Amino acid sequence: MRKLYERLPGPAPVRVLILVVMAVVAFVLLIPLFEWAGTFLDDGGVIGALVDVGPGLRI
Amino acid sequence: MIWAGVLIFAFLAYQLFGTSIGTNRAQNEAEQQLDTIFESAIEELEASGVPVPTDPPLVPTDVAPTLFPEAIPVAGQPFARILIPSIEMDHVVWEGVEREDLKNGPGHMPWTALPGQPGNAVISGHRTTYGAPFFSLDEVKVGDSITMETATGSHVYEVREILIVDPTAVEVTEFREGAWLTLTTCHPVYSAALRLVIHAELIEGPNFDFVQHQAESVEASS
Repeated sequence: MRKLYERLPGPAPVRVLILVVMAVVAFVLLIPLFEWAGTFLDDGGVIGALVDVGPGLRI
Repeated sequence: MIWAGVLIFAFLAYQLFGTSIGTNRAQNEAEQQLDTIFESAIEELEASGVPVPTDPPLVPTDVAPTLFPEAIPVAGQPFARILIPSIEMDHVVWEGVEREDLKNGPGHMPWTALPGQPGNAVISGHRTTYGAPFFSLDEVKVGDSITMETATGSHVYEVREILIVDPTAVEVTEFREGAWLTLTTCHPVYSAALRLVIHAELIEGPNFDFVQHQAESVEASS
């Protein structure tokens, strides 16, 4: 984290702002991964949700 | 190592708190709209000429009771409310059990009976994420009541059976004689490995007399 901070251009407030923006962007990019991993915690409790056989149909 | 910790913390924070933000907003908005949705559904039923519970009785009481059908809900839209007083649960129910539907709250399986109607109405909901509407479902006991509010009125069910089954146990969603409500959610908490299933039978509501009469007719003919 410190190395990354030192590589950033500009004065301290600008560097902190860039770090915050980078963290937000990283979080947004991670959401699809989190959504997928979250199905192992809780997939909605639907019975027969393991196989999609078509729009609105599951077996 | 630190980054892995940050990632896991962010994942858990997102799942346990982040996913609930949108769900709570959707529930609050639906709560405001539900009376209007009920009124529209009743207007739709009246326009199509089917009996609605608010009609004055047109037939003598010694003939077969009337079935009050429900308007077909719009996919992906709220259409009912579920209340379980014993666990202080009160949520708006959506039509559909696709991932997007269940992000808003409990969802009704479209290919099963509608709540309050003869058959088996199946409703699924998240246990730990997206507002966790069914978090405390394991505290429900046999004999507890579950109320479904729809356009045709309040339908009260009594819990008859509680099961733990595999996620592929589709038999719990099959048609049942009488009027039943089946709730399904993940089990145990923080795992999608199994399903907690609650079967409840209709004991009160606009269609209770019809369902009772139907059951008596079947018994008499057998």
